[in-house]
Amino acid sequence: MTTLQSGGPTPPDLSGRNLSLRRSIADRGATVLIGLCVLIAALPLALVAWQVVSRGASSWSLDWFIEEIPRNYRTAGPGMGPAILGTLAITGMAALLSIPIGVLGAVYLNEYGKNKPLARFIRTMADVMTGVPSIMMGLFIYVGYVIVIGDKTGFGGALALACLMLPIVIRSTEEMLRLVPDELRQASSGLGARKWRTVMGVVLPAASSGITSGSLLAVARAAGETAPIIVTVGLTYVYKPDLFDGQNTTLAAQIFRNASQPFAASQDRAWGAALTLIAIVFLFTIVSRIIASRFAIDKR
Amino acid sequence: MKLNRRTIFGTLTAGALAMSMAACGGGSDDNGADGEMVSGEITGSGASFPDAFYAAAIEAYAEVNPDLIVTYNAVGSGTGKSEFGEGLNDFAGSDSLVKDDDGPEAGSFQYIPTVAAPITVSYNLPGVEGLQLDQETLANIFQGAITAWNDPAIAATNEGVTLPDTAITVAHRSDGSGTTSNFTKFLDEATDAWTLGSGDEVTWPEGSIGGEKNTGVAQVITQTEGAIGYVDLADATETKLVTAAIENADGAFIQPTLEATTAALDGAEVADDLSYNPLNAAGAETYPIVAPTYILLRTDYEDEEVAAGVKEFVNYLLTDGQDIATDNYFAPLPAGLQEQALAALNETIA
Repeated sequence: MTTLQSGGPTPPDLSGRNLSLRRSIADRGATVLIGLCVLIAALPLALVAWQVVSRGASSWSLDWFIEEIPRNYRTAGPGMGPAILGTLAITGMAALLSIPIGVLGAVYLNEYGKNKPLARFIRTMADVMTGVPSIMMGLFIYVGYVIVIGDKTGFGGALALACLMLPIVIRSTEEMLRLVPDELRQASSGLGARKWRTVMGVVLPAASSGITSGSLLAVARAAGETAPIIVTVGLTYVYKPDLFDGQNTTLAAQIFRNASQPFAASQDRAWGAALTLIAIVFLFTIVSRIIASRFAIDKR
Repeated sequence: MKLNRRTIFGTLTAGALAMSMAACGGGSDDNGADGEMVSGEITGSGASFPDAFYAAAIEAYAEVNPDLIVTYNAVGSGTGKSEFGEGLNDFAGSDSLVKDDDGPEAGSFQYIPTVAAPITVSYNLPGVEGLQLDQETLANIFQGAITAWNDPAIAATNEGVTLPDTAITVAHRSDGSGTTSNFTKFLDEATDAWTLGSGDEVTWPEGSIGGEKNTGVAQVITQTEGAIGYVDLADATETKLVTAAIENADGAFIQPTLEATTAALDGAEVADDLSYNPLNAAGAETYPIVAPTYILLRTDYEDEEVAAGVKEFVNYLLTDGQDIATDNYFAPLPAGLQEQALAALNETIA
């Protein structure tokens, strides 16, 4: 802190009190406008959350999470256990398939491929794939896997979701790797580490928080997919822990199925499933935040 | 700066969830002989139109025989038939007959009629109930030739009813649907006035509103004063829509009820392959717009256990299952057709 000398120039007044009328009106106006925009942006989110919670909360009970799904639309009462297990198992398997491949692919792109034609080609293709409608991935797996093995299975759904997640994981991870300062790589090389050690020991840990949140965003998106699941996974009312044995189901598929019936019982069930799905995605997000902050490189 | 080598593994496995891999116990040596309960798992997929009835029947059947797990996935008639062709399901549900490029090969399947249901013509016109529409007027309303409710053509069959000058809004299915197919097929067969053709999707007049599935059309009708649309009986009843009485082949105006539907099945001519056309069937009491639905059985099941399971479940649908049809807004088969269906089932799966 420097003390001001008496008689020296007075510090500029930054409080905005003596702004001209025009500027203060513009300032107020802009502030109100921005605040309004935030409110408008938040409004649909708040309404969706309120709708889903107010309509779905009544379905929740212990049985809701354990019981099998009622076979009849008109049978009131709980049961979404198989869909919860299916959502977790199928998206979990999809994550297991796509995240390692995606992260290592991004390492290639950013650390090895850089601007080689192959790397640029993969980068462009990944960008294109991010924009492909999810049903395309479903149909691709339907033709390439489901018809070949002759059965709809949970694993088929996991494959479709993995295809959907892969480009997202690749692109978000690459962006994160690009943010790692080159000085870190140079310091690591300067200490005698080989390239693979630099990547594994310095670059990836430095980017880990960003990679984690990027990957979990992809997981959250996959968890809510309906179209590819309906094409590849089929339907079940009972617990199917084995993804390779027979048809399965997920929360998103159950929302679609139950919401399209006119009966109050099935519509309540759809709202309950929607709330459950939002809760699961919310949990994912919190976990990703915790992991990201835990592994963040700080205190430089 | 703190670097931890393990973080990379944390990164790689983050998001991957614990997954238990337990083998499902499935199957037994039960061969499905009379008196013994078959077990295992059978899956069907197809038409969404009879989904509510099949779902109810599956639940009721699970109480009779909990060891046989039956799944019916309402993916639509077209998808159900192509999945049948690919061997992805054990039976398919379909509202329409199999055409050459649908998937199943000729001779590889057998139609089994299960239930039927009326397609209602529902409308939203406060204060006007029991509207009567003749077939030509119905066609003209849906193709946009009649645009107001007080049109003389409507008034002609509704003496004593005060019709408002509200504009007519046609509500239709936005998705390809068997309901659209049966409704337009009826108009096409019934009257020369109809010019839009028939099929899962047709080009509706400008200004009409599309709704997703029956539920969506029902919603459009509820929300739009002056709207008219075609909706299945379950949705119309559950959403408390007002239905119109439609002129049948004998010139009587009939409300869409299950009795009038079964009457239409009685009047319909059944072909050798058990397919039948109940649209505009003869009889004073028959409702003219009735949609049939079938189950496709394979003539050649590879797995005997699956064959026994399918046979037992379809047998249940055709016998005890018929009793719960009415509760779910579906009309049971008349006795004659039911016997034919059972005979075909026993012949197809020995």
